[in-house]
Amino acid sequence: MLTKGDKILIIFILISSFLILAAFQVFGFGNEQSYAQIEVFGAPYQKISLGDDGPSMLIKVPGMLGTSIIEVDKNRVRVVSSPCPDKDCMRQGWASKPGQMLVCLPNRVVVKIVNQSIEQDTDAVSF
Amino acid sequence: MHERHQKMIYISLLVAFGMILHVIENMIPVPFPVPGAKLGLANIISLLAIVMYGLREGLTVSILRSLLGTLISGSMSSLIYSLSGAVASTLVMAFFYRFFSNTFSLAGISIIGGVTHNFTQITVASLILSTPALYVYLPYLMIVGLLTGLFTGFSAIFVRQQLSKVPMISKGTRGSN
Repeated sequence: MLTKGDKILIIFILISSFLILAAFQVFGFGNEQSYAQIEVFGAPYQKISLGDDGPSMLIKVPGMLGTSIIEVDKNRVRVVSSPCPDKDCMRQGWASKPGQMLVCLPNRVVVKIVNQSIEQDTDAVSF
Repeated sequence: MHERHQKMIYISLLVAFGMILHVIENMIPVPFPVPGAKLGLANIISLLAIVMYGLREGLTVSILRSLLGTLISGSMSSLIYSLSGAVASTLVMAFFYRFFSNTFSLAGISIIGGVTHNFTQITVASLILSTPALYVYLPYLMIVGLLTGLFTGFSAIFVRQQLSKVPMISKGTRGSN
């Protein structure tokens, strides 16, 4: 019932969809400038641009419980120290891709990696 | 029965079936946030119309069932997505049916129609939302198009086999073998 042409077609579609999938994983979406945005109590505190030629520094962020120290290492960030009791934020390690976040809830400190298309993107569409 | 009337009745029946499938399609959620993304179930009807009559009737049936199906299921904003998908897949299926029926069975043509349908949906949605980001879902929708294309293709093959046994239908139409 399935002709030879059908089977070739099916294989072709399967292969090409995997290729497209792989291509997206490897190439990503164009290399926009990404930033680490630090927010305290939901309000923006500081915005640092990341990249291969980015800064390497430590930033002291005053939160509710005390001071969190955020380390920026060219194109990634992490929480070095924090006054919260569980230190979950420090266990999250490095964040470098747009969309990733480091959150310290007790201290109300959030570090988000954003790029221009994340900020412009709609959050939801209903129709 | 007068030939013209018979043809009109059968085309109306096809449109009615297409509308039902369209409404049912709208109820099945697709796990990708592409607006208007749907399984291409109603492509069975478009393909049948093409096989039974031809491209012009196929287009008529597709456009009518899109319009009426959208009116019934109530979300007019999805009209542009389903209309464009239906028209594009009908055109492509008719083309392949006319020139390549020896290479592909109805199942293959249906698969091509299903993939075209989904590809057109992503394209239209990307244009309307002004973001090319939706194309990430292309691989997944291609697989979905493949699967529903297989399903609709086999359905179309069976329906055509059964219809050709009904002399009243097979006499007024073509492509019943």
